[in-house]
Amino acid sequence: MLQFIIQGRGGQGAQTAGNILAEFFFQEGRQVLAYATYGGARRGTPVSSSLRVDDKPIRMRCDIEKPDAIVCFDPSLLAGTPVLKSASAETLLLINSVYPAERFAELGVKRVVSIDAKSIAKSHQLGAMVNSTLVGALLGVLAYGNVALLRKVVAETSPVKAAENVAACLEGYRIAREGGASHV
Amino acid sequence: MSAQGKRLLLNGNHAVSYAVKLAAPRVIPVYPITPQTPILEKITDFLADGEMDAEVMTMESEHSAMAAAITASLAGVRVFTATASQGLLLMHEMLHYASGARAPIVMANVNRTLGSPWGFWPDQTDSLAQRDVGWIQYYCENGQESHDTTLLAFRVAEQAMLPAMVIHEAFYVSHALEAVELVSPEQAASYLPPFAPLHRLDPLIGESWGNTVSQQMFQDHRRDLGEAMEGVAALAKAADRELEALVGRGYGIVEQYRCDGAELVIATMGSMTGTARDAVDELRSEGVAVGLLKVKLFRPFPATDVRELLAGVPKVMVLDRNFAPGTGGFLFQELKSALYGMRGAPPIHGYLAGVGGTSISPAAIKELARGALAEEPSANSVWKG
Repeated sequence: MLQFIIQGRGGQGAQTAGNILAEFFFQEGRQVLAYATYGGARRGTPVSSSLRVDDKPIRMRCDIEKPDAIVCFDPSLLAGTPVLKSASAETLLLINSVYPAERFAELGVKRVVSIDAKSIAKSHQLGAMVNSTLVGALLGVLAYGNVALLRKVVAETSPVKAAENVAACLEGYRIAREGGASHV
Repeated sequence: MSAQGKRLLLNGNHAVSYAVKLAAPRVIPVYPITPQTPILEKITDFLADGEMDAEVMTMESEHSAMAAAITASLAGVRVFTATASQGLLLMHEMLHYASGARAPIVMANVNRTLGSPWGFWPDQTDSLAQRDVGWIQYYCENGQESHDTTLLAFRVAEQAMLPAMVIHEAFYVSHALEAVELVSPEQAASYLPPFAPLHRLDPLIGESWGNTVSQQMFQDHRRDLGEAMEGVAALAKAADRELEALVGRGYGIVEQYRCDGAELVIATMGSMTGTARDAVDELRSEGVAVGLLKVKLFRPFPATDVRELLAGVPKVMVLDRNFAPGTGGFLFQELKSALYGMRGAPPIHGYLAGVGGTSISPAAIKELARGALAEEPSANSVWKG
């Protein structure tokens, strides 16, 4: 079973990112269970999306305790919040940041990949909507090969700007696959 | 054999909406509330796309939504509504009225914590606190079950002439995306006949409801209501068998999972059931004889079935994601009551686990089960969450 946690703030699209990934794995023919929780139901408060992927039906309904990857939309969530409580030596931490991965060494997570999703999204006329870029980045860093399906699913799930979202997603995928850090 | 339904990636709330589309209620009075609102949103999408034809009445409160649901139902049409948490509690007075009026409304309730303090978390106390209002109550484990049970509920409610709640938990089911196989329109049409009650409000007929009655008439009416409720278990079993014959998915009113030779049976409801299945499988593979009893139909409480299924079981452990201060977990209370006086009734551990939506993992359930096997049960619910 693959287990992912996506952490963002209300309005950033973390829940949507979880839904896009769920749709991707569902269309790939795998079993998925994805849900988001939000405490405040308002913009700016922490939102967490959980995704499990398996080859057999997923029955457990509880928090993910040992994620394979954590995608963090906002590095300010890393300080003073329980985002990292579940991170282990095997956990991959993918951070949306202008700073390189070394900047986050103090977090004590072994595998950190940083990607400047905000700049990528902006360059594709997506404003601050970084979710498609980070979806691509997560699959890129996992070296998940089904790019044709990724392209299809992101286009289908984009409410607007489908071509821009696909382009940003593929750029996120490429940069992350090459090790991340598209930094100025 | 009807064509198989489509398989879609849906959250639990939308799985309910798709079943409502199949049931085709004529009137849907609602008031939005998190985490129920996606049910209503999807229904209004269907209406906007011309896939459904119903009158959605957006009321000024849940109390009014239920009042409108009752009167619409008494006019002889199929009625659906949905709510959660505080909204369900605001309906409380009208819930009694609905069952007294024998209005077979189907309502989805998404379990959410009750204020104060404020929260949006999965906790079954809201609907369990309505256990005495004369409504049928079904608890669902996942989106597939919520989809199928919505159709089941319409069928049973309209046969028994009693209102029914289809209940699932916030987030773990309501907002959980997973594969759901839809009942096809052809299957639904053969399963659920049009609603055609013997009596209805119609100025051309001149019937009325809710008149002042004598003490004796009131008592007779309550007795009739009780008899109708007692008949629900048999109707629910038949409706479940027919659904299984049609779509290949059946649930029973209670389910036994790997109970053969079990030293301990875990009893629970709703989303916790899925987590407990994983725990049972792992314990069995480790040589610990543990089984699971899932209570799907909570009202009427299937006491006869539960007594049969737990006869000879050495021990029971209840997991309650709900809490009544002063009495403890609801399922614990109901099970103790159902088993009282049974020869060789098993001792029951009542554990409060997951109250307020706290996360309970398979590992946590395994640990609780190992503890329950080694300990003597207490008379009251014990906090374990």
